[in-house]
Amino acid sequence: MTGSIEAVYIFDEHNRPILTHTYNSRPLSAAQLLPLYLAHPAPRSNLIYLPNTSPPTLVFSIYHANLLFLLTSSSEIEPLLALEFLHRVIDVLEEFLGSPLLAHKIESNYDVVAQLLNEMCDAGAVSTTEPNALRDLVEVEGWIGKLLGGISIPGKPGFTSTSSSNMPGISSSGTLAANTPALPWRRANVRHTSNELYVDLVESLSVTLAPSGRPLAAFANGTIAFTSKISGVPDLLLNLSTPSGRHNVNSVMELPVFHPCVRLARWREKPGELSFVPPDGRFVLASYEVDLLPFQNGKSGSTSASNLKLPVSIEVKTSLGPTGADFEVRLFIVKVSGQSNSSPSGLSSRSSSHVSGRGGFGSGLGGGLSGGSSSNPVLDDLVVTVPLPSDVRNLSEIRASRGDITYNPGDKKLDWHITAKEAVAGGATLRCTVVGLLSDDDDFEGNGFKLNGRYDYEEDTYQSAPVKAVKAAEATDEKRDVVKVAQNKMLMPNSANVSFSVKGWLASGIRVENLVVDTRKSRGLGEGVKPYKGVKYLTVSRGGVEIRC
Amino acid sequence: MESISRISTLLESARELTLDAAQSARSSRTSVRTLPPAQIKKLLDSRNDREVLDGLRKVISMMYRSQPCLTFFSSIVKNVASPNIEIKKLVYIYLLFHAEQEPDLALLSINTIQKSLSDGNPQVRALALKTMSGIRVPAISQIVSLAIKRGLGDMSPYVRKAAASAIPKCYRLDPNTLPQLLEYLSTLLGDRQYYVAGAAVKAFMEICPDRIDLVHKHYRSLVKKLVDMDEWSQLATLRLMTIYSRKCFPKRTRRVKKSNGNQGFYGEEEEAEEEDTGEVVQVLDPDLELLLRSIKPLLQSRNSAVVVAVVRCYINLGTPEYINASVGPLIALLRGPQDIQHIALYNIVSVCLMRPEAFVKYASHFLVHSTDPPQIWELKLELLTLIFPHCDLYMKSLILNELEHFSRGSDKELVREAVRAIGRCAQSDSRTSGRCLRLLLKQITSLDGNLVAESLTVIRHLIQQDPGSHTNTVIRLAKNLDTATNPRARATIIWLVGEFAGVNGEDNVAADVLRILAKGFADEAEPAKLQIVLLAAKVYLHHLNRSDVGADNATAAPVQESSHNYLPEENEGFAELGSPQHSTYSPPEPEPEHPIVALWNYILMLARYDTSYDLRDRTRLYKALLAIPSSTQLASLMLLAPKPVPHTPSPSESRTGFTLGSASLVVGEDGGLHGLRGYEALPDWVEAGKEPDPSLRDTDVKMEYDAQRLMPAGEKLDSAIRESKMVAGSPSKTNGFGAPGSKKTLDDWLAEEEAEEADSDEQESDEDAEETEEESSEEESEEEDEESDDDDEHDRLVK
Repeated sequence: MTGSIEAVYIFDEHNRPILTHTYNSRPLSAAQLLPLYLAHPAPRSNLIYLPNTSPPTLVFSIYHANLLFLLTSSSEIEPLLALEFLHRVIDVLEEFLGSPLLAHKIESNYDVVAQLLNEMCDAGAVSTTEPNALRDLVEVEGWIGKLLGGISIPGKPGFTSTSSSNMPGISSSGTLAANTPALPWRRANVRHTSNELYVDLVESLSVTLAPSGRPLAAFANGTIAFTSKISGVPDLLLNLSTPSGRHNVNSVMELPVFHPCVRLARWREKPGELSFVPPDGRFVLASYEVDLLPFQNGKSGSTSASNLKLPVSIEVKTSLGPTGADFEVRLFIVKVSGQSNSSPSGLSSRSSSHVSGRGGFGSGLGGGLSGGSSSNPVLDDLVVTVPLPSDVRNLSEIRASRGDITYNPGDKKLDWHITAKEAVAGGATLRCTVVGLLSDDDDFEGNGFKLNGRYDYEEDTYQSAPVKAVKAAEATDEKRDVVKVAQNKMLMPNSANVSFSVKGWLASGIRVENLVVDTRKSRGLGEGVKPYKGVKYLTVSRGGVEIRC
Repeated sequence: MESISRISTLLESARELTLDAAQSARSSRTSVRTLPPAQIKKLLDSRNDREVLDGLRKVISMMYRSQPCLTFFSSIVKNVASPNIEIKKLVYIYLLFHAEQEPDLALLSINTIQKSLSDGNPQVRALALKTMSGIRVPAISQIVSLAIKRGLGDMSPYVRKAAASAIPKCYRLDPNTLPQLLEYLSTLLGDRQYYVAGAAVKAFMEICPDRIDLVHKHYRSLVKKLVDMDEWSQLATLRLMTIYSRKCFPKRTRRVKKSNGNQGFYGEEEEAEEEDTGEVVQVLDPDLELLLRSIKPLLQSRNSAVVVAVVRCYINLGTPEYINASVGPLIALLRGPQDIQHIALYNIVSVCLMRPEAFVKYASHFLVHSTDPPQIWELKLELLTLIFPHCDLYMKSLILNELEHFSRGSDKELVREAVRAIGRCAQSDSRTSGRCLRLLLKQITSLDGNLVAESLTVIRHLIQQDPGSHTNTVIRLAKNLDTATNPRARATIIWLVGEFAGVNGEDNVAADVLRILAKGFADEAEPAKLQIVLLAAKVYLHHLNRSDVGADNATAAPVQESSHNYLPEENEGFAELGSPQHSTYSPPEPEPEHPIVALWNYILMLARYDTSYDLRDRTRLYKALLAIPSSTQLASLMLLAPKPVPHTPSPSESRTGFTLGSASLVVGEDGGLHGLRGYEALPDWVEAGKEPDPSLRDTDVKMEYDAQRLMPAGEKLDSAIRESKMVAGSPSKTNGFGAPGSKKTLDDWLAEEEAEEADSDEQESDEDAEETEEESSEEESEEEDEESDDDDEHDRLVK
């Protein structure tokens, strides 16, 4: 069961091969592989087995930033190993070449990419994937640093400052430290002129609502991203708390997963305390999951939706109008209160000295529009997506009380965008009329379906008693409508998704209490150096709030 | 865990990214120009490092763009001696890519690389070793082997690691070097540094996964280093340990007389069944338990592959407690990106088939989202049906609502799977099958022919499983013949009616259904026609059988009130089935021809002139079968044979044989019956008595881990007493392990005594004697086992 990685391929957005790195044996060339991969129908599995190549090949694929990454192996290999490796390749390339990863960035830095790929996997066996360790091994010439510096634009101070101050670090690390460092994830001799620590808590929502609006399942998948730009070997302690206090962090943050640097014993002893020596740069410290309906498991499922607080609530009504061809989406935008407002004791009191909302940090972001500090969460990127059945030919009428609609006849979905400016608290409605493939009355018989049930029998004219024949004429009209309603029912959407992002608010209410540099355990951090600390909260829903109808 | 790049995209809004992209696209188009070969050559031949580097960069770019760059081979190889590490690295990369095409020129560089092996900088040494082993020129295999040997003794663990990863490459160059390589490997496996040991395990798994004899003395140290290794070494080590444990720790079980927990122990079902009083508990060897305990933190690894590898270890080696602990982390994998989610779901399904009840509390994680691609919702639906029978009522209705919702969707595949899932739910839990059936019956009035046909197939399966209670359902279905237009749906209904044609003797709808169908015969599609002919044959056969039995049961039919009530109206159609006014099948009258006989002849006539030869053929067959009214035996055998109950297994059941976490599990049957190339199933548990001696795992240096350190005085006393009871029985070494410190069987005590003795003596008792005595002692100890159960129980209680 020890398969080895045979080759890694990268294709750009036009499926032009931009990179082939062979590790082992004689894999297919990029030009041979691509058509075989594309031959599989559209939502392609991430693991495709090509039995007809010689030897039969397993193809793993990932799309990232419009680039297609393929990895092949001709024998049994753990699929998760292959996919995790591809993800690491992407992470490392982004770290070294700057994000977003673009085809021409790879093309103009082939030498760096070659070194990276060569170090990450040795003759088919994955070896060094830690970005910090790679920085010791792979040298990036100064001019790339300059190039990366040149890319940065003034409107984006957040990440630019990260990369620009990282670059001297990269280029200066000339030789490997005498021995490999004690911490495999932290490179040796880190020096920064300005010491900064940033915590980003990102929660991505996954909520399913029943047609009645009652939540069936609601989870927030949280990730703690950490940016550490601090000299020496710091020992950090990050304290988290929940709205209901410190004691039940463990029951709120379920199924946590940690970066290897986190001391697990400490977490088990005192849930909510993350003690770690961070890698240099940006990394994911931990991820967790919060059940937003903690008391609804099991029989007590009849509780109302009141537990669940979302910035947006949605309602969909279908089969409206005389022929049931209309549907209506109603959106209610609610203003959520920010993280620190909910309990101002912890964060904001400190904000003046060390920890401050990231809003202050990103002063160049242009004021209130996209700032979204924790004191004033801002709802942004609000999009309602309504998937339409394939039989829908067109939407003959679309009326929205605010926002813009993106729909072209024949599309399989309708997007309703509401910009941040328009997304003020209150209601908004969207009403659409569907047109199916068979709009004529005569067609429905030919469709091959007849209605069953009482309608048919009650109004069946051709053999009923004379009394009924009198009613027949008016009855057929009624019946037509009923038939139409039933037909249009098949054209109704049966779900709608809401996407949005809220800066400065977390669905779970988890907060960063404080972030302490343990000066006793840390090494190499100058006396009296107080690193700048920033916290940012973000809740996103990428089509994650779904209502059934 | 989400990767940092994905989180970054969430944090930065799309607008910023596009701006960034546009800007950088503008700025750097210029740098991708290629120079003419002559100029590159000139750069490479330059004395200036900077220019050489530039030239190398150009060549590497050409390499990746699949442009020919072999022409530069000699110019590049010249630079291998450059002291500049930057240049060296790029030259090495070039060599690795192209050495195969120019083996002779590549050999020129070997000498210089060899020199680098004694460079002062460990990084240079490691790089040289790595490159040399990676050059695919078989002629140098001996040199590589020597280089590895030299690397073994290097001060820098970094070089030793490189030596470890060079081993499989050397093996690939020339398999004859294996004996030397094994020697190196056995040294490296015991390396103090966890990353050296990790790399050694990777090499071990690649070249000789069967040589577990090399692992024995490193077992404990490897297990302890496991948590510190990097993720990829952890994967290899977990794989190794799973195989090793299967081969070295016989599965031991012990019966517990009374227990309060009533979870089933699935591993031992067959044994559990033979004794109703006691449960069977797996007894873990202390060394095995050491492994299982020490890998527990890895369940919280950020690497999904590691999590699955730990779960695989638990599933295949561990006790139910361990398996239950692994369920949550598996669910946590669903937070990851879609590709990880997809593969994780396969593994979850595989575990869920074994222990569905453990997944019940995570049921809401399996709800299908409209954004899920087919591969994912398929597996999620399967999971929902798997856990369905174990859920509470609220969850059950939630799952059914969910399935109902998707059965009404517009995606044909999804509709089909959802309906099938409802069917599987109904099968797995008889108490809700009524509700499932109602749900399905509701679907058949839908306008969606696809949905109707799917529902009917599932309904048919359900009815066949319990025909007795579904007579009314069939009548209800028959009424739907008025409206159902999908040929498959009609065929299914007609077939079902035919199956039930023999129920209740003459009081049956079949004949009447046939009468009405006969009217529209010409308009039916072929599958339906085939079924009509079959129905006719069955009805006729039943009629014949009845008239054979006797004409005296003429009074059977007339009362049918009970079944009339659902249709007050009298319309032409199936709705009138069974209405007394039209009792076409009332008692046989003294007419010359019974209506059924007339019907049969009529159908025969219709089918005879049909365009489909298949239909005509079948009709002829039935006609011949039923030609002689007095002998219907053969026909009864053929047409009225009891049908096997269809079983619809969960779609993934065919994959269950494959090991968790393997690609074969994901690919399934396409990969071949025995999995993909290179797939090896886990070995079976070694039989007790055939495992390697546990003392092999004892290292010379006494480890701080000591199985005996937890021995209360009381137990010592007990064991001493037992020992004195068994003076005659010579302790058998081979049985000497299998129990954790707290739950020891008598055998283990004995074995430990023995082990101590052996240690103190330093003298192997001669093996022959041991073997002969082994059997007798085993018998004895088995008896003892039975007796000592109670004692053990006491021991445990004391603790």
